[in-house]
Amino acid sequence: MTETVWWAVARSEEVSAEKPLSVDIGDQPIVLWRDTDGAVRALEDRCPHRRAPLSLGCILGNGAIQCGYHGWTYDGASGRLIDIPNLKSERKFPPVYKARSFGVHESAGFVRICLDAKAPLPADDGYTLPLSGTSTVALEHGQYIAALFDDPSLLISIKGVRFSPYLLSELCEQEGQLVMERSCQWASPHWPAPFTSDFPISLRIATDPVTGESDLTLRDDEFNLLLHATLAPVPGARRVTQVRWRAILSPERHGLAAKAMGVGTPLRVHDHIDGAALRVLKPSASIHADDLREKIAASVEQQDKVA
Amino acid sequence: MLETTENPATLANDDPITSDPRQFSAKVNAWMPHEIMLTDAWFPLAHSFAVDKKPVRRAVYSQPFYLWRSPDGEVLAAENHPNDPLADTKSEYTDESGHYPVLEKYGYVWGWLGKPENAASEHVPSIPYLPEDGGLPLHMLGTVRFDCCAPLSLENLIDLTHADFIHADVVGDEKMDSEKVEVFHDSETITMVRTCVNKSVAPIMKMFGGVRDDVQQVRQVIRIYLRSHAAIAYGRFSPGDNVQLFHPCVPETRDRTRLDYAMNTSNVKKSNLFRYMMPKASYKVSRQDSSMTSPQSPRYMRPEKRKDLHSPLDEAGQKYRVLMTELAERQARGDFAYRDDVSADCSDIIGYEKA
Ligand code: FES
Ligand SMILES: [Fe+2]
Repeated sequence: MTETVWWAVARSEEVSAEKPLSVDIGDQPIVLWRDTDGAVRALEDRCPHRRAPLSLGCILGNGAIQCGYHGWTYDGASGRLIDIPNLKSERKFPPVYKARSFGVHESAGFVRICLDAKAPLPADDGYTLPLSGTSTVALEHGQYIAALFDDPSLLISIKGVRFSPYLLSELCEQEGQLVMERSCQWASPHWPAPFTSDFPISLRIATDPVTGESDLTLRDDEFNLLLHATLAPVPGARRVTQVRWRAILSPERHGLAAKAMGVGTPLRVHDHIDGAALRVLKPSASIHADDLREKIAASVEQQDKVA
Repeated sequence: MLETTENPATLANDDPITSDPRQFSAKVNAWMPHEIMLTDAWFPLAHSFAVDKKPVRRAVYSQPFYLWRSPDGEVLAAENHPNDPLADTKSEYTDESGHYPVLEKYGYVWGWLGKPENAASEHVPSIPYLPEDGGLPLHMLGTVRFDCCAPLSLENLIDLTHADFIHADVVGDEKMDSEKVEVFHDSETITMVRTCVNKSVAPIMKMFGGVRDDVQQVRQVIRIYLRSHAAIAYGRFSPGDNVQLFHPCVPETRDRTRLDYAMNTSNVKKSNLFRYMMPKASYKVSRQDSSMTSPQSPRYMRPEKRKDLHSPLDEAGQKYRVLMTELAERQARGDFAYRDDVSADCSDIIGYEKA
């Protein structure tokens, strides 16, 4: 796990000032909460006193987190120990008395964490998409992204949309991202995909080569936006993948099927994956992903050298 | 591990706690509770009432103990089930017939894990407030389990500041004027005495014990018999009734603990609900402990580079770690002797007032 990567470990609405939230990046447990200013705080979910999870504790009125075991209390920004209630004395603790802290960045409805507390903050990215959800999937992070490239229907459903196996563009590199575009059909009765001349809709997927964070753009054949979504898969404990997502349905959609997308939930991110279908899923678009990732990493390195 | 070339005779006089502060803290921070396996000890494997004609299965460090009674009521302990036709395994812990040394005292069946020839009744811990021949009513006895390493359960117990946080709704929170922690030890036991001045009254005493005041004076004692992994938890509350709990933590496996408790509330008036409710509180309290010790336990399974942080209130827990490690190291050198007497009446040490 690269130390300097920012992972979208929570949606903004999941992090509160009432109850600590436990999340993880790989095997690293993390506790999240909001302090009195509403700022998100992130510490290792492990009290340095006796290793209990801090997420079982509580958030005090001053925004500090108190371990539920023996009451040790930590400042969220620095991770420093600020109180041991039973000592009944105002005292300063030496600097080694601290819990590990992490970099935190909140933007566009996602809370992102970097294991390196000193990493430079990423750029803010736009506005908050109104629809959102979290799904936990028993599939390893890399496999999850490969399945997204090879057959998104195993991972997500878009209201009234059928993903076809035909691609408009295979996976390629565009501005440092892995990008592909897939032809789709409406789910209503229609001429079978292998005999279809032109498809009414297309799904573009643009994926970060490291985190797998993906922007999904669904358009009709007049290039009108139908749905925009961000999927943020994060590797979790025991190789499960936690997927936080946000989406927006375009307010103006033409045609009956497109209008019907507004009835009920337009996007669902599955919690369960059909293992039998996944097993026989032919690796296709994903085959080039690793080569492209290497190429992107090499060019980033090159740029760093020049800079 | 200490050098094997060192002369055991000089070590015999060494108190691991007073010898060298640097070695002391090194031992505290090298704490590997799952690696500690102490033998030549009596383990309270079952309440006496739980053992009858049909064998019941218990374990110490995964070593099986089948317990049952012969037709004349005598308790037997064997490593194989008597109905197992293929049983021919015999460990170093049993005699030619596959039987462990076993005895009954304080209402428990105690099984000896260790060299059978070293088993002696004088190594059964002293528990002043349990009747030697048992017979407490069933409502004072119970079983709870922890999916946690036994030494961690005991380390949890001996640091009572935890109770102010996770058991606040049963025994009261951390609000008090002052607290004092004193720790005594020998090579086989550690005893912690916590004295609290004007502490918030335990809610369970308010609810069921008829205590009307807002604060009470509290003196709590935890005494651990290291080898047997068994603790005395004795509390004096004024106003309020004294709490007399025997709290064994049998290491059924290295990461699972069995607690057959005995909470003797015969000191409480028969008309007082507390007499019946207090023993039942164990079910709630043990779940609260488990919420912390269960996630804690795997985090102590492997060597850890980062040292635990300590406060002055952790003196007892730190000493417990060092004494356990020292005993384990001593046993690794082949020295299984008891240097201190665990069966001598400890009433004075724990400040037990006979009713
Ligand atoms: S483990 Fe957190 S305060 Fe003790
Ligand atoms: Fe407890």
